[in-house]
Amino acid sequence: MLRKPQLSVEHMVDDVSTIHSLPLFYSQLSEAIDHPRSSIGDIAKIIAEDQGLTARILKLANSPLFGYFSKIDTITQAVTIIGVLQVRDLALALSVMDVFKGIPEDLVNMEQFWKHSIATGLAARLLATSQRESNLERFFVAGILHDVGRLVMYVKVPEICLELLEHCRATGTLLHRAERERLGFDHAEVGSALLKRWKIPPRVAEPVGTHHDCGKGDQYPREGAILHFADLIAHALQIGNSGEIFVPELDHGVWERLQISSFYLPTLVKQVDATYEQTVSALFGGEDATR
Amino acid sequence: MVHIDNLTPGMVLSRNVCDRSGRMLLPAGAELTEKHFSIFRMWGVLEVEVAGDAIVEETETPPPLSQEIDPALLAQARAEMERLFIYNDPEHPAIKELMRICTERRATRAA
Repeated sequence: MLRKPQLSVEHMVDDVSTIHSLPLFYSQLSEAIDHPRSSIGDIAKIIAEDQGLTARILKLANSPLFGYFSKIDTITQAVTIIGVLQVRDLALALSVMDVFKGIPEDLVNMEQFWKHSIATGLAARLLATSQRESNLERFFVAGILHDVGRLVMYVKVPEICLELLEHCRATGTLLHRAERERLGFDHAEVGSALLKRWKIPPRVAEPVGTHHDCGKGDQYPREGAILHFADLIAHALQIGNSGEIFVPELDHGVWERLQISSFYLPTLVKQVDATYEQTVSALFGGEDATR
Repeated sequence: MVHIDNLTPGMVLSRNVCDRSGRMLLPAGAELTEKHFSIFRMWGVLEVEVAGDAIVEETETPPPLSQEIDPALLAQARAEMERLFIYNDPEHPAIKELMRICTERRATRAA
């Protein structure tokens, strides 16, 4: 296959980042959080203006994922208990899920796409817990967003994507390798470029960009490693699908660095299965949020 | 290395047990009791080294698959996993374990 030199990662995200932009709401929220004089009440007020989002955040906060004993029924409570940055991260995940709609079904089934992403997010969050990481929601969000570059590609170059999907099915090739061969970059890089355009912090954008090539990350290698393995778990469990039909190859160096015992894996799988259904129902919010 | 689920009281540690941050919980030579197991769990210790060859050998064979699963379904699930994991080394400890879990999970769900 010949590489087309006029296609670059930047070109891919050029208009996509403006056409498919994050809602104004997210930048307002970020601004309020970063402002030294805003209170929890101010932040809660901004979130509460979006009723759909409010309902989904509360549903998520009350799901077994968080394991709080008391019921969280206001955004103020959620912000206080879960933390401001965590609520922002959850709001980000939910906002992005609404941004990409109307991609043809023959390219990707959006429901399956987000299911794969949610499973990856859950696995990343659980792995991070086992590694005693703090601020767990960034792992969850990175998992939700890890394949977002594919959506950009489906919007921008649908014919090439279709060709790649068919090529992979026919020859049994790994999709991210085929992308790299055909375009010179893969969906991970495109996703990271989009998140940077959206001004998403590098602690999320970098691991998304390196989840198939963990050696490239310089600032957040642990996050990248966790995301890499979480993606593998989601593929192994066959939850949802984002286009890839095989379990991506495990980077053995990443496994060494994570220092996870293989004895932990049965527990991990059990925990992903136990929290998956309720997380999906919280994130999809009952309404038709998947199209 | 023995998984804590496979430990029994009376086993003797052949190496210090430390938590994730490296703090020692129990020194080599200590005899294990039920109380230690809950302490290990509390501090996230999943495996320890104990003295005696017989015990180590025993844990090297993977835990037997559940008897109730139909062998035909299991074989089908196994074949499916081999296809899915084609780009991975089936002898790598993490991949091996993941394939085992997923085979069993898939077969159970198909039943």
